[in-house]
Amino acid sequence: MSDYMWGVLAGLALVVVVAAIAKWRRRDKPMSVAEKADYLSNRRARMLPALAVIFLSQQATFFSQMSGQHLSAEKAKISAWLVLSIVMLFGLATKGFWLERKEVRDLIDDENTRANRNEAMRWGFLFSMAAAIAVYILTMFDTVTGREAVHIVMSFGIAAAILRWGVLERRAHRDA
Amino acid sequence: MPERLANKLKERRGELGLTQAELAERVGVTRKTVNTVENGVFTPSAMLAIKLAQALELSVEQLFWIER
Repeated sequence: MSDYMWGVLAGLALVVVVAAIAKWRRRDKPMSVAEKADYLSNRRARMLPALAVIFLSQQATFFSQMSGQHLSAEKAKISAWLVLSIVMLFGLATKGFWLERKEVRDLIDDENTRANRNEAMRWGFLFSMAAAIAVYILTMFDTVTGREAVHIVMSFGIAAAILRWGVLERRAHRDA
Repeated sequence: MPERLANKLKERRGELGLTQAELAERVGVTRKTVNTVENGVFTPSAMLAIKLAQALELSVEQLFWIER
């Protein structure tokens, strides 16, 4: 199996483990649809900023350790990063909580959540553009490969959107 | 001075003895959305404003007004 495939499998395994832990943690909690939606929404609000910080710090170590030799470990890291990025993008673009019932998912994605998500997407777009401009300027002084450029632009865009969404959701959950 | 949408959601909810969660369930949103509208953090759509007014047995104008 290729090194890239190992990375894809590692990324998918991480997603499955996180989903399984989340399911296991609320195993014996009978809840109504509204209670469950509120519980999940609250948990997401707490999780998003942490996820953004972990994602960004992972990128920092990725670039600091890149030798450019396309070693096996680097190839696996690239695929794992791609899987995580796609999952995070899906989480941003859809209602999320794909394993939950439709009523719960519909309720979680209510008016305020949609407004917060749209604002987060706006931030993601602006940060992606800012990163693209920064990379463009960088290429005037140094060599940047296409893959590195895409990596930087995607990472900044996704992390900014996730972080902004988390901040807005936490603020929304906070009582006055 | 900027305009903002003020409301008496909290006051009216208290009069009817409803919690945020109960009001949220009546209008089909999460408690978070009721909380943000109540605190003036989020401006609801016309649809949600009407649903909130109906649930609290008031007209939209009685529930919401513009503060300058």
